[in-house]
Amino acid sequence: MSQRDKAPEGEQQAMNGTEDPTNDEMLVETDVSDGLSASGNSVGREAETVISSENINVWYGDDHALTDISMDIPENSVTAMIGPSGCGKSTFLRCINRMNDLIDVARVEGGLTLRGKNVYDDDVDPVALRRRVGMVFQKPNPFPKSIYENVVYGLKIQGIDADYDEVVEESLKRAALWDEVKDRLHESGLDLSGGQQQRLCIARAIATDPEVLLMDEPASALDPVATSQIEDLVEELAEDYTVVIVTHNMQQAARISDKTAVFLTGGELVEFDDTQKIFENPESQRVEDYITGKFG
Amino acid sequence: MATDTDSGYIDSFGQVSRTTGTVFRYLLLAATMFGIVTLAVLLVYVANDAIRPLTADLGWHLTFFLTLVVPTTVVGGYLARRNVPALKLGGMVVGMLAVFLMFSGGVAIVFVDIIPPLTGLSYVVGLLVPAALVVVLTKYEQQIPFTLRVAATGAAFILSLVGVPGYFHSIPEIVRQLPVVPADWMILTLVLGGVAAVVVGQYVARIRENTTAGLAAGASALLLTGLAAVVGPTLGVDANAAAVVTSVAFVPTLAYAGGAAVTREQERIGLLLAAAVVVGSLVGAFAVDALGFAGPQSWVDWQFLTSAHSGTAENAGLYPAIGGSILLMATVAALSFPLGVGAAVYLEEYAPDNAFSRFIDVNISNLAGVPSVVYGLLGLGVFVTYLGQPTGTVLIGGATLALLILPIVIISSREAIRAVPGDMRQASYGMGATRWQTVKNVVLPEAFPGILTGTILALGRAIGETAPLIMIGAPNVLFNLPTELTSKVSAMPLQVYAWSSLFASEDFYTKAVPAGVVVLLAVLLAMNSIAIVLRNKFESEN
Repeated sequence: MSQRDKAPEGEQQAMNGTEDPTNDEMLVETDVSDGLSASGNSVGREAETVISSENINVWYGDDHALTDISMDIPENSVTAMIGPSGCGKSTFLRCINRMNDLIDVARVEGGLTLRGKNVYDDDVDPVALRRRVGMVFQKPNPFPKSIYENVVYGLKIQGIDADYDEVVEESLKRAALWDEVKDRLHESGLDLSGGQQQRLCIARAIATDPEVLLMDEPASALDPVATSQIEDLVEELAEDYTVVIVTHNMQQAARISDKTAVFLTGGELVEFDDTQKIFENPESQRVEDYITGKFG
Repeated sequence: MATDTDSGYIDSFGQVSRTTGTVFRYLLLAATMFGIVTLAVLLVYVANDAIRPLTADLGWHLTFFLTLVVPTTVVGGYLARRNVPALKLGGMVVGMLAVFLMFSGGVAIVFVDIIPPLTGLSYVVGLLVPAALVVVLTKYEQQIPFTLRVAATGAAFILSLVGVPGYFHSIPEIVRQLPVVPADWMILTLVLGGVAAVVVGQYVARIRENTTAGLAAGASALLLTGLAAVVGPTLGVDANAAAVVTSVAFVPTLAYAGGAAVTREQERIGLLLAAAVVVGSLVGAFAVDALGFAGPQSWVDWQFLTSAHSGTAENAGLYPAIGGSILLMATVAALSFPLGVGAAVYLEEYAPDNAFSRFIDVNISNLAGVPSVVYGLLGLGVFVTYLGQPTGTVLIGGATLALLILPIVIISSREAIRAVPGDMRQASYGMGATRWQTVKNVVLPEAFPGILTGTILALGRAIGETAPLIMIGAPNVLFNLPTELTSKVSAMPLQVYAWSSLFASEDFYTKAVPAGVVVLLAVLLAMNSIAIVLRNKFESEN
């Protein structure tokens, strides 16, 4: 497919092509590289905003997990979500690609737009949505298949016609895993170490060239060395992707994110601003208490 | 208590009584062992009646003790102390040889006596042609619409197997009408040796990570089968039997042992155990023959395994019943596996959590506990009375037994599917996979070993059932092998039951019945051992 043709160098451009044209009906605007200017369908979003939520509320049964979350997540940046356990940060992440739909008792109200299209509109197919949003989970979860098969899984199920060998090499290089596994691409992904598995999961997520990369505490199950590798990787990926990362590690958020959202108990978004401002001069006393370790 | 609290020093902590706990513990041990020991005593008693080891000459026992028992014990004892994994490997090879030898007997019954080799070949060709077409179609999966692919696949199989009456023949008919047909042993070599070659070739290619080695192994497997069929008759072994036994038992065992010898350097010494058992048995057999010692006058002998029922216990045999059991199991597996796995996948992956699905849940558990005689009545009522089928055929018996084990297959398959980690499903959905893609690519491959294990154990239950077969009117005595799905069928437990009830004489009680029970149990244990090996293998991999 010509859209996937890549500039030989310049990683920035390499993964920016659009995918299967059949998916285009879901999101009118798909091309990341010039998404800012060609925004004919804009519904009043800010120039650089990729994800915009308006008064999102989530209930799990009777449990009110998220209360009136409104935030705008900018393009090609790392947005971190921090907060104590059970504050709803992962729940918000799962609202973006509608993974909450898979939970029977979950109920979502409010609107969340991805490049101007409300993902909770009736005409949005959640499966098609998820094909545009990559996700990396807390626990490394490669499939019990070979490393190669793990990376091309998304291409296969989405019916993307590409040079698999090329995509595998490209994705593994971008996930900083290529040098470690290039000689054993056909061994099981489960034979890798935890950190390698997580980078494999990142390679799998970016192989299909998604709009947004969601990461749900991607380093919390890893040792410090593997964690710092993942952190470096996240910063690099943010050059081409809009990364939204949930973490309960405040230092991690301070190190790698451009913007930080602080969720506190009760599923409230207490403060959302530039990371530097949040950590140096937060508006809210509660946020300051949380960041300085007085509670949470 | 000798505790000096004033000074803060403790002389002694005292004792806490554990008498009740100890008594309780040994009561629990007794409860655990009661059933096992009782059954073991019974089995030893029956086996003694059937095999009668004490009727052998003392010299016979002594010979085998020296050639088989002593070397095996020495090697086994050495390995047990020095290298337990090697002992396990050796035991695995011996077990594999024993179980596969038994299965090769079953395969020989099916592919020589029940299905004539030429008919078998004709259907193999008739299936391979459309299967090749399906493989080609899969390559162009993306370009061809789904419905068209399904239609083309279906049409290919129907055209190939049925043909168009009046216009052109089906492929099996064409093969059967070929002017020149190869001899039976050639067909068996081609078909069974071919299957063995593919399996062995893939196995070797995988463990050696070398396609050439795999191809070489596959080719030698085929060659070895052909060689056995050619050399066999000169040694007094039937060519067909030689081809079957070689391809089903010897080739896989050799491939496994050879593969282990090459890839598992630490454990390959364990193959000595297998060598001790095989060489010891052969040397022992040769020695007792040369020295003229008589073996035990076992009731489980070649005559018993290869002849039909007779008026006298000495001449009675189990052959038609063994063949019937095999055909029944094939029918049961073909019916219950797709139905059971299909239901399990639906209930685990698709069914919403509502009152209806909970109702079905509870009732499947209930169905698993319904007595088998009730299923027999169901089979009689539905298939014979309502659908007007003849009584006691392979098809009716198989369908009834399939209904009997269906709940067990569903329950064990559901457990296997539930054991697939939820984060693998999440990963798949997160990649934008549909439910069907997730089930097909992630859930079923991961759950398959568990499903297979559960199904084999359920088949083990079906093979021992007597009551449903009596209810559907299976004949107590059958003198010929059933050769079609609509032939009357008997089964091993039914034959044993017939000997113990209809022919209840002292002779049958003491000779034919124990022999039949031993054969039935041997088959059952062989099946279960495969299920257990599969389960252990995949449990240790995860």
